[in-house]
Amino acid sequence: MSHKEVVVEVKNLKVVFGKGKNKFIAIDDVSFDIFKGETFGLVGESGSGKTTIGRAIMRINEVTEGQILYHGKKLNGKISKEWDREITQKIQMIFQDPMASLNERAKVDYIISEGLINTKNFKNEADRQQKVRNALLNVGLLPEFSSRFPHEFSGGQRQRIGIARALVMEPEFIIADEPISALDVSIRAQVLNLLANLQQQNDLTYLFIAHDLSVVRFITDRTAVIYKGKIVELAETEKLFANPLHPYTRALLSAVPEPNPYKERDKVVEIYDPSQHNYDIQPPSFIEIEEGHFVLANEEELERYRTSLKMEVSK
Amino acid sequence: MTQTQSPILTIQNLVIKFTLRGRVLTAIRNISLDLYKGENLAIVGESGSGKSVLMKSIMGLLDKNGYIDQGQILYNTQDLAQFRTEREWLSIRGKEVAMVTQDPMTSLNPLKTIGKQIEECVHLHQDLKGKVAYEETLKLLKDVGIHDVEKRYKQYPHEFSGGMRQRIVIAIALACKPKILICDEPTTALDVTIQAQILQLLKNLQQKYGLTTVYITHDLGVVAKVADRIAVMYAGDVIEIGKTHEIFFNGKHPYTWALISSLPQLGSKGEQLYSIKGTPPNLFQEIKGDAFAPRNQYALKIDFVERPPFFQVSDTHYARTWLLDPLAPKVEPPEALQAFFAEGRRYAHES
Repeated sequence: MSHKEVVVEVKNLKVVFGKGKNKFIAIDDVSFDIFKGETFGLVGESGSGKTTIGRAIMRINEVTEGQILYHGKKLNGKISKEWDREITQKIQMIFQDPMASLNERAKVDYIISEGLINTKNFKNEADRQQKVRNALLNVGLLPEFSSRFPHEFSGGQRQRIGIARALVMEPEFIIADEPISALDVSIRAQVLNLLANLQQQNDLTYLFIAHDLSVVRFITDRTAVIYKGKIVELAETEKLFANPLHPYTRALLSAVPEPNPYKERDKVVEIYDPSQHNYDIQPPSFIEIEEGHFVLANEEELERYRTSLKMEVSK
Repeated sequence: MTQTQSPILTIQNLVIKFTLRGRVLTAIRNISLDLYKGENLAIVGESGSGKSVLMKSIMGLLDKNGYIDQGQILYNTQDLAQFRTEREWLSIRGKEVAMVTQDPMTSLNPLKTIGKQIEECVHLHQDLKGKVAYEETLKLLKDVGIHDVEKRYKQYPHEFSGGMRQRIVIAIALACKPKILICDEPTTALDVTIQAQILQLLKNLQQKYGLTTVYITHDLGVVAKVADRIAVMYAGDVIEIGKTHEIFFNGKHPYTWALISSLPQLGSKGEQLYSIKGTPPNLFQEIKGDAFAPRNQYALKIDFVERPPFFQVSDTHYARTWLLDPLAPKVEPPEALQAFFAEGRRYAHES
């Protein structure tokens, strides 16, 4: 990263669902920064809390403890009306399933401009139409499509409409929650390319939530691995793939099937056993082990990880 | 691989059509395919390519508006394409051919204990009763890697995780003692770590029970792990078929190239990932020539006129593309792929 302006800062975030006996800690003491212009990946299995973090930043889920700062200003809890309006416009989201996330009864024109209407972010009717046109063109669709209904489009096209709906607000920061998992293989590449191009053109910052590590490796700059509501490892994506330290990261990486039958045939998949840590005696903390590489570990484990890092360098 | 080259099931010139609001859609366009005994065949293709329809047709599970228009499905001297009644199908479905479906959340009965659901199949297909059936059920549960089987027997599906439920679905399929097991996207709904476990389990069971398995999937990583042979489908047709390494590292059809090139694993960050332009053809219309031609940068004139025949690449490898015709101009696969092919050759050399 040449410039390291922090866009989103998550500090000791804790999200708890339910009360008393039904209490469930979905996110437990999670902290990370997202820098301007980068794509930050969040990976983990289902139920790990990756979507909950995204939703907490979107202010859909309430934050129990901790803070989320946007450009250094708090966005959770009680905030002023103007600030609320500003972040509503600046932070947008792209959803997983384009079949479920578009209003079947509304025309594309309305779907895309709904956000504009809600925030009254246009001068006049002509301006609104122009904005919709541009958003459609930006995602590679024809402006004529604005008078059609969602069911007239294919999965890939619908996902483009979902992206156009986010873009029309002129956001700075986009949360993409599994944006390509519901798409077909041949369409995935198109949407990934589109997201990358839009990022360059509009200087966007992405939070990319996914479970498919091959996609994460391709698109993200830095990646955080989340397991049961805690981030266990965070590093630059290439570094994380080259030197995974935490046993869970290692297990996750080893489970990803590669498109190479020779490699796959004799691959041994590592299995993560949470009972291997003796955290009862020595609780872990989230520590920067080398520059930009964080891992959740206690002293004893840190020592081991440090040795393994040294081994890597000498190779 | 334990592959005796004798086909267990033969599909010949199969055409499957659907009627939809008075219009006719051709889902399978004249497919011929042999399934060999004891092999793991993977059928890959995007949604709508007909891979599920093809497999449903050999179990008699086509939707009401679908029908076999032409062709034969030969199994044990019987032609399944001639089957008309449910009674006939019951002699095949389950007993000979069983299926593991995609979503373990919806394929189990939420109101019955999983033990009863498995025992039901043990009773129906193996004709066991009482204590014997119970013992057999416990054995199946153990086989699919479930611990504490007596306790688990009495539990309901909601008490199991996704991966565990998929194991139950597999146990139910095995309870029928099938010869052929069809796995329709068996791990799409599961997490990667669980996916690896389930694939390993399926592989082990295939050997233990001497099954012939067919995987329907669009995930080439899964294919690399489990398949001996791959059939690539596009718009209702098998366009290339061969051993796994032949398809991955010596593919001949431009669609196969395109599928592999668009994998994010082959791209590098900051560069454009190869993507297939356009959309699959409309199956309501008659397809002339090679169905992939309009999206194919290497298409020849003949591709738009005449359907290419299968050209033989090796004893086990066939591809339906005019590029293999001796008269066709020589075309090199895309650059991104050449490095990938070279890597494959290196591995092949080593092993």
